[in-house]
Amino acid sequence: MNRRHFLQSASAAALAQSLSLRAAFAQDGWRTFETVTRVDVKDSFGVARAWVPLPLEADSNWQKTIGSSWSGNASQAQILHDGKYGVAMLYAEWPAREANPYLEVTSRFMTRDRAVDFSRPDRSLDLSGADRKFFTAPTELIPTDGIVRKTALGITKGAKTDVDKARVIYEWIVDNTFRDPKTRGCGVGDVKSLLESGNLGGKCADLNALYVGLARSVGVPARDAYGIRVAPSRYGYKSLGTGSPNISKAQHCRAEFFARGYGWVPVDPADVRKVVLEEPPGNLPVTDEKVLAARKRLFGGWEMNWLAYNMGHDVKLPHANKAPKLPFLMYINAEADGELRDQLEPDSVKYAITSKEIGV
Amino acid sequence: MLRALAAALLAVVSLTTGAAELKRWDGGATPPLALEDLSGKQHDLGAYRGKVVLVNFWATWCEPCRAEMPSIDRLRNSLKGKPFEVLAVNLAEPLSRIEKFAESLPLGFPLLRDRDGAAGKAWKAKLLPASFLIGRDGRIRYVAYGELDWSSDAVRARVAELLQ
Repeated sequence: MNRRHFLQSASAAALAQSLSLRAAFAQDGWRTFETVTRVDVKDSFGVARAWVPLPLEADSNWQKTIGSSWSGNASQAQILHDGKYGVAMLYAEWPAREANPYLEVTSRFMTRDRAVDFSRPDRSLDLSGADRKFFTAPTELIPTDGIVRKTALGITKGAKTDVDKARVIYEWIVDNTFRDPKTRGCGVGDVKSLLESGNLGGKCADLNALYVGLARSVGVPARDAYGIRVAPSRYGYKSLGTGSPNISKAQHCRAEFFARGYGWVPVDPADVRKVVLEEPPGNLPVTDEKVLAARKRLFGGWEMNWLAYNMGHDVKLPHANKAPKLPFLMYINAEADGELRDQLEPDSVKYAITSKEIGV
Repeated sequence: MLRALAAALLAVVSLTTGAAELKRWDGGATPPLALEDLSGKQHDLGAYRGKVVLVNFWATWCEPCRAEMPSIDRLRNSLKGKPFEVLAVNLAEPLSRIEKFAESLPLGFPLLRDRDGAAGKAWKAKLLPASFLIGRDGRIRYVAYGELDWSSDAVRARVAELLQ
């Protein structure tokens, strides 16, 4: 039941009046969270800039953004967007005279678990021709021809529908890739190099980008979703949730494919591999009960102890001096003295992200 | 050494919260706004036609929102007797939390409740505080995203311009 239907029913309307709206939403499965991101640009002598990813702007039946605010000593801060995918970010700028540039961004949002019921298709759910073309197009690191398409054609041989193709690609990723703990950050998602190397190890940005590339290459619309985990898992997975309110290293990307009759379908094969590697006691066999349950749930479902930032690729940072396009925007980026700092190097861009759930 | 000292001095006097500026609005027509205040009284922006109105979207969790509220009150007090009103729209928070805030900081203008955040979406109030100065003809004239000193001379000049 979506929020509109909820409020349309007379009994629900009465309930919404007697309770706070957040309480009414909570009864519909919604949880409210707040994240606070503190950024310090260290050792800056010239003009400094920072780009902080913000919660997904478009509301859905699984995430709604309430708003964001900022404080700090930036001379200007505003919400900007990457042109192609509309990736939202808070852009901040400090003049050269600012010795200790810092920024704190507070965001509030609501999330609700997702689970697609494949037994109940809704024929009204379809993509326009333009959107289908957009979400099957290659990106700079996700080509849809050559080795990517060849691999995908082999995987999907005999699969008839988009759901069938999406499912066999999902199973193939789970069976043939592995989570490599030595990968920096979440990986970069260089799909062609990954396949050419024959070493199918990586983290979420690699494995789920591979999913997206394989799906797109056989005409199934797909996209990565970049975000961050904000709470422990309620399904008992230590590896799929946060361990403390400090979520500075909890960035995680997921994937979706589009199927006529079902809309955007959430998947997360990379998290199945994370359960295999990290769920205590570690290095679980794929036949372990916890792996089997995650494998089943993560095709068509996401636990929403996670905040989606955006679904963009090849992101150009507005006002950046000479920054190349980023494969995605999931980390905080900063520039000082005309140089883009290494987003994964904590000494050059110091940041801390905390999360808390807001009670009703 | 001198540069470091100068930078340190400037850092001391620099703002510690998100400083914003009033910018001319070029975002199109004024969205409707009809919301209840804490006592349940309905406020419709359309009924304020002929007055200059400051529509301020805020939340109790937003530090710069809280910080700028007293300056909004000072502006309003300084314009008593003039056709100027403030409508402060709280973004999707429970009544109890807004009431607690109102008790801690008594303000002379109505606090409206955007219960489900729909008004905030319609006004594109994504970065709080988001403030819109509405001219006497009902059209949005200026916008500010972030904390502003509403009792400053620069802001007063803008409001005076709209009051003419």
